[in-house]
Amino acid sequence: MFRTTIAGLLAHRLRLLLTSLAIILGVGFIAGTFVLTDTIDAGFSQSFTAAADKIDVAVLAKDEENPLPPSLLAKVGSVAGVKDAQPVVSGEAALIGKDGKTIGELVTAGVAFPSYRMDLTSGSAPVSDGEAVVDTNTAKTEGFRIGDTIAVLDDKNARHEFRLVGTFDVGVDQSLAARGAVAYTPATAMRMTGAKGYAEIDVTTAGPSRESLRTAIAAVAGSGATVQTGEELASDLAASNGASTEYLKIGLLLFGVVALLVAGLVIYNTFGILVAQRMRELALLRCIGATRRQVFGSIVLESTIVGLVSSVLGLGAGLGMGGLAVFLLNTFSPDVEVPTGTVTLSPQTIVIGLATGLIMTVVAALLPARQATKVAPVAALRTQTEEHTFRTGVVRIVFAVIFGLAAAGLTYMGVTAKPDESALMTVMAGGILAFFSVLILGPVLVTPLSGLAGWLPGRLFGVPGRLATENSRRNPKRSATTTIALTIGVTLMTFMAVLTATMRATADQELDSQFVADYRVAAQTGDVPHAVAEALRGHPELATVAEFREAEGRLDDKDYPIGTVTSSVLESTMRPKATSGSTDGFKPGTVMIADYVAEHLKIKVGDDVRIGTEKDATPLRVVAILDSESLLPSITVPEQFFAERFGKVDDNQILIIAADGADQDKARAIVDNAAQPYPAVKVTSSTEIRDQFDDAIGGILSVITGLLGLAIVISLLGIANTLSLSVHERTRESALLRALGLKRGQLRGMLTIEALILGLVGALVGTVLGIVYGWAATETIAESVSFQLPVGQILLFIAASGLAGVLAAVLPARRAARTSIVGSLASD
Amino acid sequence: MTTITSFRSAVTAQGLTKVYGSGDAAVHALRGIDVEFATRAFTAIMGPSGSGKSTLMHCLAGLDSVTDGHVSIGDVEITRLNDKRLTMLRRERVGFIFQAFNLLPTLTAEQNILLPLQIAGRQPDQALFDRVIDTVGLRDRLRHKPSQLSGGQQQRVAVARALISKPEVIFADEPTGNLDSRSGAEVLSFLRTSVRELGQTIVMVTHDPVAASYADRVVFLRDGLLVRELEQPTPQTVLDTLVALEA
Ligand SMILES: Nc1ncnc2c1ncn2[C@@H]1O[C@H](COP(=O)(O)OP(=O)(O)OP(=O)(O)O)[C@@H](O)[C@H]1O
Ligand SMILES: [Mg+2]
Repeated sequence: MFRTTIAGLLAHRLRLLLTSLAIILGVGFIAGTFVLTDTIDAGFSQSFTAAADKIDVAVLAKDEENPLPPSLLAKVGSVAGVKDAQPVVSGEAALIGKDGKTIGELVTAGVAFPSYRMDLTSGSAPVSDGEAVVDTNTAKTEGFRIGDTIAVLDDKNARHEFRLVGTFDVGVDQSLAARGAVAYTPATAMRMTGAKGYAEIDVTTAGPSRESLRTAIAAVAGSGATVQTGEELASDLAASNGASTEYLKIGLLLFGVVALLVAGLVIYNTFGILVAQRMRELALLRCIGATRRQVFGSIVLESTIVGLVSSVLGLGAGLGMGGLAVFLLNTFSPDVEVPTGTVTLSPQTIVIGLATGLIMTVVAALLPARQATKVAPVAALRTQTEEHTFRTGVVRIVFAVIFGLAAAGLTYMGVTAKPDESALMTVMAGGILAFFSVLILGPVLVTPLSGLAGWLPGRLFGVPGRLATENSRRNPKRSATTTIALTIGVTLMTFMAVLTATMRATADQELDSQFVADYRVAAQTGDVPHAVAEALRGHPELATVAEFREAEGRLDDKDYPIGTVTSSVLESTMRPKATSGSTDGFKPGTVMIADYVAEHLKIKVGDDVRIGTEKDATPLRVVAILDSESLLPSITVPEQFFAERFGKVDDNQILIIAADGADQDKARAIVDNAAQPYPAVKVTSSTEIRDQFDDAIGGILSVITGLLGLAIVISLLGIANTLSLSVHERTRESALLRALGLKRGQLRGMLTIEALILGLVGALVGTVLGIVYGWAATETIAESVSFQLPVGQILLFIAASGLAGVLAAVLPARRAARTSIVGSLASD
Repeated sequence: MTTITSFRSAVTAQGLTKVYGSGDAAVHALRGIDVEFATRAFTAIMGPSGSGKSTLMHCLAGLDSVTDGHVSIGDVEITRLNDKRLTMLRRERVGFIFQAFNLLPTLTAEQNILLPLQIAGRQPDQALFDRVIDTVGLRDRLRHKPSQLSGGQQQRVAVARALISKPEVIFADEPTGNLDSRSGAEVLSFLRTSVRELGQTIVMVTHDPVAASYADRVVFLRDGLLVRELEQPTPQTVLDTLVALEA
């Protein structure tokens, strides 16, 4: 039996090639994920080890809020055996760029650390108060050169100048890389950042072992500090970074699982077809004495060999993909520093890759193998293989209905429930059940659907078109499995497209209704000086200038931030929504409270609440509960009252609406000019915010679509595979048609149209599922979403699926058209 | 005899040679055959297994290329046509009946019958269709798929399909090879009727002396050569000729 299996495999090696490719891609993706994350992890731990190598003992602040007291430095330095103890300072001090504004979205880090830990890329480390070094990336993007004077705002927004003496590499510190960093001497760093102490003290030994030195230092360090050896520090840092690669791993594996699922369907279908085509052969084996078990075993053995060989190749592919991903990360995203260890396959990756590939292949082949055992020996004696007649079984309908009802029920529950995570989970569970229902019902659905998809080709291309439609539905089970593989990918893509389009539309709408401001002025650090608002007033181009202020205060003896807003905002288009009460009644002696605060404190409209400072609180009447999405401070009091209680407070932010018909450029120039004197004060426009948001969402969507692309590619292999197996099966038919006068091109066209139909059917089902569940999911995300159907994108998916089907048909169709008529007529 | 040869030829072959493979492995399936098939005649090709009957038929019908020689269908020399022209020629002028797998399993009997016309984009002649259907006796089976038809019925559908497009010549390779004698007789007498009444030209390859006796003329092949001809054959004369050839 083993010999016949091997012979069979060799005979069908071409047909198994596409199947193998599906497994190779699936396993490759999974293995590649591990290779990538392993490589990153290895790179991190390498560089942490390298960094920590120079430190013998480190004293760390237990939490960032309470840094190590500066006095500790001298104490640690005087411990016997300490050669050198140096402080690490970490905080924020906004660096001002060449445009006179603070750099970037996030405030630049202000740091100090021992020069032996500083990876200088040019120049030297700062040694005097007037010197500083900038990280290499920031220096490059801002065009800073050694010898330049750079300006930095300290924690009180006072401007200081430094001479740039060097540039340094932040290494693997993601937070420094993201913010950009300026390093100073420790004293200057503390002054600039306002840090009250040290984040860390690094110690080198004069002789004693690291362990003994740690014990000695721990004795003086006190309870607010953790004392670690260099090794411990390195492994802790590596572990915390490992946690973040874990997310990456899980995220990628999710896509890997989808790809494997699709590959499983492709394998199931291929073995199903191979078994069907080998009915005669198998029956012959049964005739000459093979048992059912042997027939079953031979198919399982075949799948095992295919699975094993493909998984091994898949591991190779994974190594390649992982390496490629590392290379791409390093080449195309300079701001994300990915340290790279050597790209290797760990034993764990090998085991996981082989196991998933093998198990999936064998499991997918089990049903076809069982089918094979049902072949009656007499089948060998029949001349013409029977046409596959498919009858819709009662069991199938019953199961489909059960799954369908359960899906509908869960989905309904999820959609109508209060939007939260569990509602989303309920909907997702409903979605999975609905998918199963479609899977079961597939063979029933495929016949009418291919009729639908084939209607136009049938009209346009005459006989080949009509024959293609017939062919696409002649074996409904096979077509259904082929198309459902594509359906998975298209469903997920459509789902994501609907979700992101809706999120985008909802956000846009929110920006429109809540953020009707044209410009927002806010400070990167601290507040916006009142003078800015003053400078903005009195311009006819600006209709509304609303100042928002906040201060620490008390509400019914609990600490809450209390805020106020220029009252004209209530008459403007920025007018906030109230969930109960009305903003109309907002006048001296009243307060408006955000719904989440009101809910928490059980406050209703009409209640009196005591608001003010610790010493001096006044009862105010609640006139409105504000929608949590409103922009107003969570506790909004009248301006007058705020000024009396909290004095002159600078603005948190200023929102500006340009006058109707005002020159946009002029309005913008006024706002820019008002903010100009203050480096930390930045202007954003609602269009900028919208664009940023759109960019972010678009980026996410394209990454996800790209990752789902793998599942699509695998399902296309499935279509190509099914087609080429069908072409093989219909060799005689094709020859007959050619003999009857069908041109080569027409035969090719026929197969191409069949593939087109399969692709369209898969895409149709996928888009319907994707739209329905995209909608259901958005219903569980927020109370009021503006559902948006990305029609263009969805049509694009459908067209692309059809086109991809056509692409999948190229090779099988060419082969079919090339074979000689006489040879095919004679073939058995 | 004279009455038959006086008709114009439907198919002519001159010096027809077919070699499969090359060098040591070369098989000379046809070694220079000169033959003519008259219009409105029913001709049978006979010969021992491996003598080249199928090869001859494939070359005559333009299904296979020839190594040497000329073949003409009507006034068209098909040995000089490319694949596209050949396909068009088959559409317009040639009909086929094979031993098995004659029908597309996805189409009904009626659709199978009309298939060549549809491929050619021609309208069926309703009168001819009715006549053909009634003659082959398939009216109550038109909506059935091939898998629901008996072997004899399937062959009759194939015959009807070959006739419906009124081709200049129908080639049949052992059309009754898979049938029992009664269904075989039905198909054969139907073929003969179509020659007599519809003026059809038929060239049929067969092993069976009885089948050959339905023809107007039998040509005998041996080792790729045309070795004998019989006019107005009877099963007995055919059998005698075969026995003589084997000797
Ligand atoms: N594709 C081919 N390649 C090589 N040789 C071939 C091929 N087709 C046929 N032959 C050889 O050509 C010769 C004639 O074959 P052909 O099929 O024409 O015989 P036949 O008379 O139809 O036989 P049968 O009565 O068994 O059908 C045989 O020797 C056969 O082996
Ligand atoms: Mg033959």
